Amino acid sequence: MMVKDLVDEFDLELTAGESGLDRKVTDGYCGDLLSEIMSNAPRGCAWMTVQGHQNIVAVAVQREMAAIIITGGQTPDVETIKKADQKGIPILLWPNSSFRLAGHLFSLGIGTRAAE
Amino acid sequence: MRELSLHILDIAENGIVAGGNCIWIEVDEARKKDQFKIRVRDNGSGIPMEKLENIDNPFITSRATRSFGLGLSLLSAAAKRCDGALRIDTQSGKGTEVEAIFRYHHIDRAPLGDMAATITTLIIGNPEIDFIYSHRTDDKDFSLDTRQIRAEMEKLSRSDPGSLQRLSETIRSSLKTLTTNESMS
Repeated sequence: MMVKDLVDEFDLELTAGESGLDRKVTDGYCGDLLSEIMSNAPRGCAWMTVQGHQNIVAVAVQREMAAIIITGGQTPDVETIKKADQKGIPILLWPNSSFRLAGHLFSLGIGTRAAE
Repeated sequence: MRELSLHILDIAENGIVAGGNCIWIEVDEARKKDQFKIRVRDNGSGIPMEKLENIDNPFITSRATRSFGLGLSLLSAAAKRCDGALRIDTQSGKGTEVEAIFRYHHIDRAPLGDMAATITTLIIGNPEIDFIYSHRTDDKDFSLDTRQIRAEMEKLSRSDPGSLQRLSETIRSSLKTLTTNESMS
């Protein structure tokens, strides 16, 4: 599944990083403490977080993530959008909680094969 | 909290609830020293010693009197997580000073957030209280003292409801100058 498939499936709002829409989503991860994400988030994941400052893009690049999904109705800072456009990391918005979206992703099979 | 300005708002409000009529707010972004410092001082009633000993315990708050609340233990945890510390200096009947230090470049340090909105919210919500706000970056500073602009503010806010909005814009653009020039050097 590609990032753009997620956008279509869940009607996510694309705010930045359009050039990365064909990145492959192989796993998912939730969290807001950046140091923890930097140690543990899997490569190719869609990362759900409420954080919106530009460090999230640096973390996503470092972990080779597929996309960042900002949840809970939060929004990214202007600098975050610029950085994500530069790096081609899609930033998507989801109005509900990370838990809800993670459940949907998991039931689509995202992350289940990675766990085997 | 996602932004440190929300902590500042919280602590400033503690100071007001503690009966202070003047609140000093200092933000010091010492990037070269890799240190981010927030200091909030009030001239309220002070925090009782037994409460102070339990400042890191969020289950002990003084909601009844609200001389301080959950906010201080959260701020303490946020500062420690970023190789920093929280210091509280309080004197009964004289006031309280809260200082939170973070490592500036620590990955978990939350961004400061919208200080212009925070200061404006405090001023609008507490017209009887004076606020002295100063904000430093490595080599620049900005300050605002409501004691100096009080008369003008009162006149303006009565005749022109948009004046406080403009105050917010003034603060915002001043702060932008502080940080923009900073990042170019």
